[in-house]
Amino acid sequence: MLSLYLPILVILLAAAGLATIIFTLGVVLGPKNPTAEKALPYESGSPSTGARNVRLSIKFYLTAILFVIFDIEAVFLYPWAALFRRLGWMGLVEMTLFLTVLVITLVYAWKKGALEWEK
Amino acid sequence: MTAADMLYLAPLLCLVAGGLAIMLVDAFAPKGPNAQRAELATLTTVVLVAAAGLSVALWMKGSTRGPEWITSYLATDRVALFFDVVICGGTAFAVLLAGGYLREHEMERGEFYPLVLFSAFGAIVLARSTDMLTVFIGLETMSLGVYSLVAFRRTSPRSAEGALKYFLLGSFAAAILLFGAALLYGATGHTDLAGIGAAVKSGHADTRLTVIGLLLLLVGLAFKVSAVPFHQWTPDAYEGAITPVTAFMSVAVKTAAFAVLLRVLVVAFSDPLTASVSTGWPAVFAALAALTMVVGNLAAAVQTSVKRMLAYSSIAHAGYILVAFVALPSQGESAVTAVLFYLAAYTVSNALAFGSLILIGSRGREAVSYDDLAGIGRRNPLVALPFILGMLSLMGFPPTAGFFAKYYVFSVAVQAGGGMVWLAVLGVLSSVIGAYYYLRVVVFMFMKEPKEGQTIAVPMKSGYVVIALILSAYFVLRMGLAPGAYLEWALEAAKRLV
Repeated sequence: MLSLYLPILVILLAAAGLATIIFTLGVVLGPKNPTAEKALPYESGSPSTGARNVRLSIKFYLTAILFVIFDIEAVFLYPWAALFRRLGWMGLVEMTLFLTVLVITLVYAWKKGALEWEK
Repeated sequence: MTAADMLYLAPLLCLVAGGLAIMLVDAFAPKGPNAQRAELATLTTVVLVAAAGLSVALWMKGSTRGPEWITSYLATDRVALFFDVVICGGTAFAVLLAGGYLREHEMERGEFYPLVLFSAFGAIVLARSTDMLTVFIGLETMSLGVYSLVAFRRTSPRSAEGALKYFLLGSFAAAILLFGAALLYGATGHTDLAGIGAAVKSGHADTRLTVIGLLLLLVGLAFKVSAVPFHQWTPDAYEGAITPVTAFMSVAVKTAAFAVLLRVLVVAFSDPLTASVSTGWPAVFAALAALTMVVGNLAAAVQTSVKRMLAYSSIAHAGYILVAFVALPSQGESAVTAVLFYLAAYTVSNALAFGSLILIGSRGREAVSYDDLAGIGRRNPLVALPFILGMLSLMGFPPTAGFFAKYYVFSVAVQAGGGMVWLAVLGVLSSVIGAYYYLRVVVFMFMKEPKEGQTIAVPMKSGYVVIALILSAYFVLRMGLAPGAYLEWALEAAKRLV
């Protein structure tokens, strides 16, 4: 049964081999003529300024977590909406329960001050 | 799918609804240093007792055959209900201990209680799961809560270290388990345990893939029950976590992991192809059990911290339970009964031991090492009493719950005969090492004096801890003096599984 997967392995190897060949050819055959402009990270934009190691506020972590929770959970609404009629009343009840849990989460985050930037 | 069907899920729904309600109570509770704190520990205990009560009611109702849309993912049989009660009970002990501990050490935060409830929910899903999908969901739901609970003492580096180790190794183990499940699906075409079992039995499954998948699955679960050599995270996580969380992990989390191990092996891999005593998983379990008992007991004997000793002792106890697993193919329901009884007895004994350790310390003077216990028995005999009982039960001294638990496990191994007898002998021998370090606690409490200049542990005063100790002491003695009723329940549950 595993032999079914053999073509996938062949394709993987072929893809890796082809990529290696093309990049190697580019490195070996391509002319190299570096100038100051070409060495810039982004050739045609404005020159970058400031330090690389900018510190981000730890508060972003909470924002990111809240985003993940509400954004990803909202994705579940789409399949339900697509099958709204077929799922019938039971689907509606289940979705209401699901949304209730989400609302409780929102209320909790709100009351705990997770939505306030300055405390 | 009807409302009556939902009744079979009542204990689970109760925990979720309770957890959400407590989140809201905590969010709306008045804040400020002088505000009246909500008694969240009491509320949480009520929710857990209600969930356990619903399970008992389902047990009494007679037929436990649930509708297929539930049983194809979550079991509704008596084994499931038995584990519901053990897990809810163990969690309730941990919550009561936390009620006293968090207040005494001034780290009371409302998040603790919903996290514990959702973890207990995950533990019950795991213990009930009859499909690889629910195994994984239950495992992750349980573990995510526990990871954050281990890090609950946020300012302590030890706590962070323990939590990070547990998290990294735990995620790794979950990935291995998932890989095993994927291979089993590839080999048999099923994710449900019954389907995997049928495919293995019919001989259609690819044998090599099945065996590799089973082994990977066992590695993932052996990590959760902290069997040697998958135990390295245990001492650090147990020591870094606050003591009530340690109690929760050693009781509810471990029980759930053993429950799912039991179900997976009995339902999916009882075919002689995989359950042959010499070449199947029983041989693997014999090696695991022997290693776990010996390493756990030897390591526990050399510890200077009582909490770390209890961590290694929980590893050693996992080894004793694994002995009964070896006897599963030949002894069937009496082996399952031994496992169920052991887990129930271990839950109450461990709650008693950790509760006593909590009771002995107070703010700023938490009792952790043996030296902290010095002389406490002469200064406060009443405080030392539950600790002695807990140690005797973990040691397996009659007439305590621990004695019968060990007795049944080892007698099952002896009845299985053949190569299994040496496992029982090894178990008894390593229990003797256990007697050394358990009795050492008693020696320090009664026969040593605190060193010059050492801070003396002062027992805390907390109704919560006292209630937890009285209840667990009651069950330790009750199961030790008259184990008949509990054994019958365990047997009743085991009959349906095998």
